Amino acid sequence: MNGHCNVKMSDAMEDIPFNNGFGDLIIDNKKSAAHRKHESSRKEAEDKSRLPALEAAYTSILRELGEDTDRQGLLRTPLRAAKAMQFLTKGYHETIDDILNNAIFDEDHDEMVIVKDIDMFSLCEHHLVPFFGKVHIGYIPNKKVVGLSKLARIVEIFSRRLQVQERLTKQIAMGISEALQPKGVAVVIEAAHMCMVMRGVQKMNSRTVTSTMLGVYLEDPKTREEFLTLSVHA
Amino acid sequence: MEHSKQTQYSSAEKKDTGDSSSVLNGHFDGKPPGAESGAHRPAASVMESWREERTRSVEDNEMSLPSLAEAYTTILRGLGEDPQRQGLLKTPWRAATAMQFFTKGYQEKIIDVLNDAIFDEDHDEMVIVKDIDMFSMCEHHLVPIFGRVHIGYLPNKRVLGLSKLARIVEIYSRRLQVQERLTKQIAVAITEALQPTGVGVVIEATHMCMVMRGVQKMNSKTVTSTMLGVFREDPKTRDEFLTLIRS
Repeated sequence: MNGHCNVKMSDAMEDIPFNNGFGDLIIDNKKSAAHRKHESSRKEAEDKSRLPALEAAYTSILRELGEDTDRQGLLRTPLRAAKAMQFLTKGYHETIDDILNNAIFDEDHDEMVIVKDIDMFSLCEHHLVPFFGKVHIGYIPNKKVVGLSKLARIVEIFSRRLQVQERLTKQIAMGISEALQPKGVAVVIEAAHMCMVMRGVQKMNSRTVTSTMLGVYLEDPKTREEFLTLSVHA
Repeated sequence: MEHSKQTQYSSAEKKDTGDSSSVLNGHFDGKPPGAESGAHRPAASVMESWREERTRSVEDNEMSLPSLAEAYTTILRGLGEDPQRQGLLKTPWRAATAMQFFTKGYQEKIIDVLNDAIFDEDHDEMVIVKDIDMFSMCEHHLVPIFGRVHIGYLPNKRVLGLSKLARIVEIYSRRLQVQERLTKQIAVAITEALQPTGVGVVIEATHMCMVMRGVQKMNSKTVTSTMLGVFREDPKTRDEFLTLIRS
């Protein structure tokens, strides 16, 4: 689950060599398409079976807050809120392998590729309140490029969970590293946290910025500079 | 007139008494509560009706915290998370307190907040307080709504402390809301407090339920407005108000 993401997920994959030293997330490349489809329908059924418990919890919350659960506007709110929450945490069901869809191509390109201003919406795991912002991703391919929308999809997988912004940034960077083995990956996230804006200190305009630099972005300041200029500052 | 303290579950039964009970969030229909056709109600009881809005107290909050926390633990489990991992250990309590904060409007009454900050001034030009940041919760999905409120009113010998307009916004927005109703409640509260010549309220907000899920339209905004009194009858006044809030 989210907090244990740096632990090996499957012992059977231990013999696959990882010679770039980026991390220990393991991706199962051998799943067949049929197997994947079966898994996602299992997850939908799982979601449905959990709905009644979530609904009951939300009904209890509404009552405890002093609202009248029989009034017209709130009649189906427990169901809607439960489904909304399941949607906002759908990233738990998805793996990088599923969404990459084999969109990795051999290209003789070794210049920086940047996808910036990816809108991101996540949930703060401490208060269950949204935080949202923009993600900027850059990578330098090592003979393999990835379909551009797949970078946004990787953001979706990890952001649709109960998250901490630091961990989200790292998971996106690691996910891309594992999938592509590029020369370097850089991820910058700038977000507004509703838990700070709507409550607590109530600072409307504050933004939190986190970044993860891997590979050549970590070692070479000029590369990092180029990425930051083209994505964040432009 | 007896104003019994409303309990959490009996508000449905009180719908029909029509007296002080009909201002709970869902039953507000825009008319001064308790107004019946043909009935001649003294001004005092119309004024008092919008005072009786508090349905929760600080003690209620403390008592509900354990069950709220338990509900949130169930939710965490139902989503497939592990409530025992370090980041989630105290989350049920934090989320419960946060949710109580987001609905603290139920604990407050307009009359308390106005603090007698109503002054007699011989001023009859428009007064506008604009760009009031507003945060509310969508009553359909329990997901935040946030935006800006612009309020304008034409005093009739009585003006209100400016921050009190923002406080009225806070009381009504910190609830489970629907943007249309929120706009109306703010306008009616100001009307009932001051009896001004006219009131205009415009709210422009982003609904996370549309942005984070569902249709997922990032840049869409919802604008609602309520114009009462001379703001509704006189197009020039309304125009002046709308121009001034836009600049």
